[in-house]
Amino acid sequence: MNIWELVIITIVKILIAITTLLLSVAYMVYFERKISAWAQNRLGPNRVGYKGLLQPFADVFKLLLKEDIVPQAANKTLHTLAPFISLFVAFATYAVVPIGPSINIFGKEIKLVAADVNIGILYVLALTSLGVYGVTFAGWSSGSKYSLLGGIRSSAQMISYEVSMGFSIAGVLLLSESLRPIDIVNAQYGWMWNAILQPIGFITFVVSAFAETNRLPFDLPEAEPELVGGYHTEYSSFKFAGFFLAEYANMIIASCLIVTLYLGGWQIPYIDKLGLNATVTTILQVGAFLFKTAFMLFVFIWVRWSIPRFRYDQLMNIGWKVMFPLSLVNIIWVALLIMIFKI
Amino acid sequence: MVAKKRKKNLNFFERIYIVEIIKGMILTLKNMFRPKFTMEYPEVKFEPPASYRGRPVLVLDENGVERCVACGLCSRVCPALAIEVQAAETEYEKERYPEKFEINMLRCIFCGFCEEVCPEEAIVMSKDYELVYTNREDAIYGKDKLLVPIEQLRDRIEFLRKFK
Amino acid sequence: MPKIILDGKEIEFKPGQTIIEAARDAGIDIPHFCWHPKLSVSGNCRMCLVEVEQMPKLVISCATLASEGMVVHTSSPKAVEARNAVMEFLLINHPLDCPICDEAGECKLQEYAYAHGRGESRFEEMKVRKEKRIQLGPYIKFDAERCILCSRCIRFTDEIAKSHQLTFIKRGDKVTITTFPGESFDNPYTLNTTDICPVGALTNQDFRFKARVWEMSKTNSICIGCARGCNIEIWVRNNQILRLTPRYNEDVNSYWMCDNGRLNTFKFVNSDSRIDGPFVRRNGLLEKVSWEEALSEASNKLKKYKGNEIAFIGSAYATNEDNFMFIKLAKLLDVKKVMFARHIKEGDQDDILIREDKTPNSLGAELIGLMPINENLLNELFEEISTGKIKVLYIIEDDIFGKYENLKELAKKLELIIVHATNKNITTEFADILFPASTYAEKHGTFVNFQGRVQRIRPAVATVELDRALDGMSMSRWDKFGTPFDRWMQGKKYDAKPSWKILTSISTKLGLKIKYEMAEDVFEDIANTIDEFKGLDYDLISNNGIKIKNKAYEYIK
Repeated sequence: MNIWELVIITIVKILIAITTLLLSVAYMVYFERKISAWAQNRLGPNRVGYKGLLQPFADVFKLLLKEDIVPQAANKTLHTLAPFISLFVAFATYAVVPIGPSINIFGKEIKLVAADVNIGILYVLALTSLGVYGVTFAGWSSGSKYSLLGGIRSSAQMISYEVSMGFSIAGVLLLSESLRPIDIVNAQYGWMWNAILQPIGFITFVVSAFAETNRLPFDLPEAEPELVGGYHTEYSSFKFAGFFLAEYANMIIASCLIVTLYLGGWQIPYIDKLGLNATVTTILQVGAFLFKTAFMLFVFIWVRWSIPRFRYDQLMNIGWKVMFPLSLVNIIWVALLIMIFKI
Repeated sequence: MVAKKRKKNLNFFERIYIVEIIKGMILTLKNMFRPKFTMEYPEVKFEPPASYRGRPVLVLDENGVERCVACGLCSRVCPALAIEVQAAETEYEKERYPEKFEINMLRCIFCGFCEEVCPEEAIVMSKDYELVYTNREDAIYGKDKLLVPIEQLRDRIEFLRKFK
Repeated sequence: MPKIILDGKEIEFKPGQTIIEAARDAGIDIPHFCWHPKLSVSGNCRMCLVEVEQMPKLVISCATLASEGMVVHTSSPKAVEARNAVMEFLLINHPLDCPICDEAGECKLQEYAYAHGRGESRFEEMKVRKEKRIQLGPYIKFDAERCILCSRCIRFTDEIAKSHQLTFIKRGDKVTITTFPGESFDNPYTLNTTDICPVGALTNQDFRFKARVWEMSKTNSICIGCARGCNIEIWVRNNQILRLTPRYNEDVNSYWMCDNGRLNTFKFVNSDSRIDGPFVRRNGLLEKVSWEEALSEASNKLKKYKGNEIAFIGSAYATNEDNFMFIKLAKLLDVKKVMFARHIKEGDQDDILIREDKTPNSLGAELIGLMPINENLLNELFEEISTGKIKVLYIIEDDIFGKYENLKELAKKLELIIVHATNKNITTEFADILFPASTYAEKHGTFVNFQGRVQRIRPAVATVELDRALDGMSMSRWDKFGTPFDRWMQGKKYDAKPSWKILTSISTKLGLKIKYEMAEDVFEDIANTIDEFKGLDYDLISNNGIKIKNKAYEYIK
């Protein structure tokens, strides 16, 4: 494989990744609104296009056509920079998520991941930590008390939950003996999904993922009733759309990661026993990955309408006094598993 | 913050709340498949009951004269100061009538105090809830828009007689 | 002083006082309809029943003399029961007219019905029907149904107006009030009966259905109808004066004012003839200009003349502050002729309130230093104008051309006529520079009445330069919560300023170093320079006024 082929293939992969991500973000908003409506016995958006399918575009155009307001007290550079940091982090993480095994096209073996990095998981952790900057900058640079409180809450919350998140992942790494996402998925062959082997780790990771993405019940940084929107109070138009986009992209990434790390990635248990040809198997597996991700996204929305927001002290208590010890317990559990079964 | 003592101490399983969370999630899920209550507005219209407080209107009696005597009580009681009345003398037995009666619908909060205070049963809340205006001037309803024949208001007047 | 015990409280009384008077002096209000402090005791309403220990029956407090050691209960169960019973009787035939009755809001019957009424009637029969909308005299509408037959109005005509025009006729439930046959209720004080009428039986025709009393703001002021300077309240809604009512001041007008003052001294404030903004004559026509332009024009033109070429005519309608500033400007320009015209209507005077002198401030103008125009002075003025010695006339707030018609022909000889006026009149037609002056209802200031009493006026109507909230004017609920988008806030505001302000601006332009920001500053200066006003200030004058420091006026009543 010469360098040009590699470049072209990578660019195509990136384009496909970004387009699907953007589209899925758009429809994520639509489904969030729909499912929210259903949970409340309403109909949800149904006016723009067939069954309201064009609603996301209407929303985007509305947002883009609005006046871009920068408060007088704001630090203009950081104020502008913040949404871009958020967006960049959200999209960059997507690079290391494998959506399926390798596929053969025109005799070339192509991996279904934008960048097959051997320290992919570290990359993910590094980038999510960067994500805090977007929110904190936005909060601080707006020069508004609501934004500032939102920003501070957000950074405290994200730093706290990153700890348990990191320790949860440690359990996964112990089992897969690799930081490469593809290896992690391969290690979960058959029913050996991490969610089944280490349920405690699964729960702590999912909860931390909710906290990292600022989703209910952990949406204190943007708590509308008390902070009027939190860190993005002073944002409008395109910049606000940036945050909006980043939030939903983050949700999708989080779902992808949960699936990759705990739900066996693209694995369909015992599919190789069916004796299908390689391409069909791969397509089915990609489908499985997308299905699992979609289900996780549904869970995100589902949880939103089931569990109310935490109080700030409760949030910190759970983070440090429950999630952190639990993730440590999980590591010991995994270590015991390895010791006993010599996996 | 001093935590309030619970009446009963929860045991470990209750304290991790997992069961309760799952119960809650199942409830939410169930609701997703329940029948929807949304009324698709412009096609389907809400038919308000007699107790509904739509925009306030002036009653035009059977003989084609407004009941209002411009006493100004509605204007005084209106918490939003939406009503302005100017009285003048009339030849009818009621002696005075409203020369000008204006309700600023941008100010009106549909509380129904005007109706409650009216000694002549002359101002009542109608069922009309479709109020659209594109500028401030249009939002000030004068006598031309406020006067409604009593036939259309029977429902409400009967309701008032029963419950006021 | 002897004492009685009223509701457990020991109060003092002057010998000869009735219980109700003693209680009133002690600040306790015993409910009453027919009793009025300035009228004789009639004792027919029975509302003021109180229980007096050692007396076998309840007594009416208006007709029972207080005596040492008397123990009176106004709210014992017996007294309350009796009062409620009286209320019930009064309400039996009183129509439920409150929504259409102008008295509502200041009606004694309404107030007591809240305090002592049962809330419902046990009377199942038809109420007695009597005639409504009777024209009783030129200014009064009488509603016989509402009348509770307290006879206050009858006693007023007998005792105060001394015209003996009203009386009861018929008997039983048909009793009603009317004039004597062939008489009309037309004495100069008729409208006071609408004030003292405890219900809405007698109402002011002029104010009929104009507004509800609670919609208006009221401002303490002084009537400008004559030199008496009756204390009044100005009632304003939507920046429009709707009525004037007398304000109690024992030393000036007691509870009363005359019909002329009540009806004819406020309409010009909101009339179409008001001058709105300054005007300057260009090419023979008065043209509206900016304040700055008009002020510069006036000062530039005045500069060109010597003091003896100018005559200043002040006004007995203007406040002391206005006249004082006028004199300051005169001194600055070295003008010797500073005078004012009296407006005397010979024979139009009585020993109740009305005075011959039809201006509110002639004494003030004189004290400030203006010369009253007499025949000699007038002839001299005419002559000097016709010989061309006097070329400039400066007139403030008086229709001098209307009063001295000879001036109309002499006007051609004058090179410059500057006028301050509130409304268009004959003088304004001849003006070269015309300044819009605030009326008495739009400014702070002081008048001195014929008794030598300095009294204050306050702004009740806002001009362009005034803001109700910021300038501390009285505000109704509507004024408080209105926005510029509400129609009730869009009452006309005229672009006028008080004369002293205009004169101050001109003086400053001519190089005088003074800094007056409020009328109070000008008055402070008056108090410092003029003996009669020494030591006075706005706080001392307050609502009831104060006598000037001059022995001659000390005992004038």
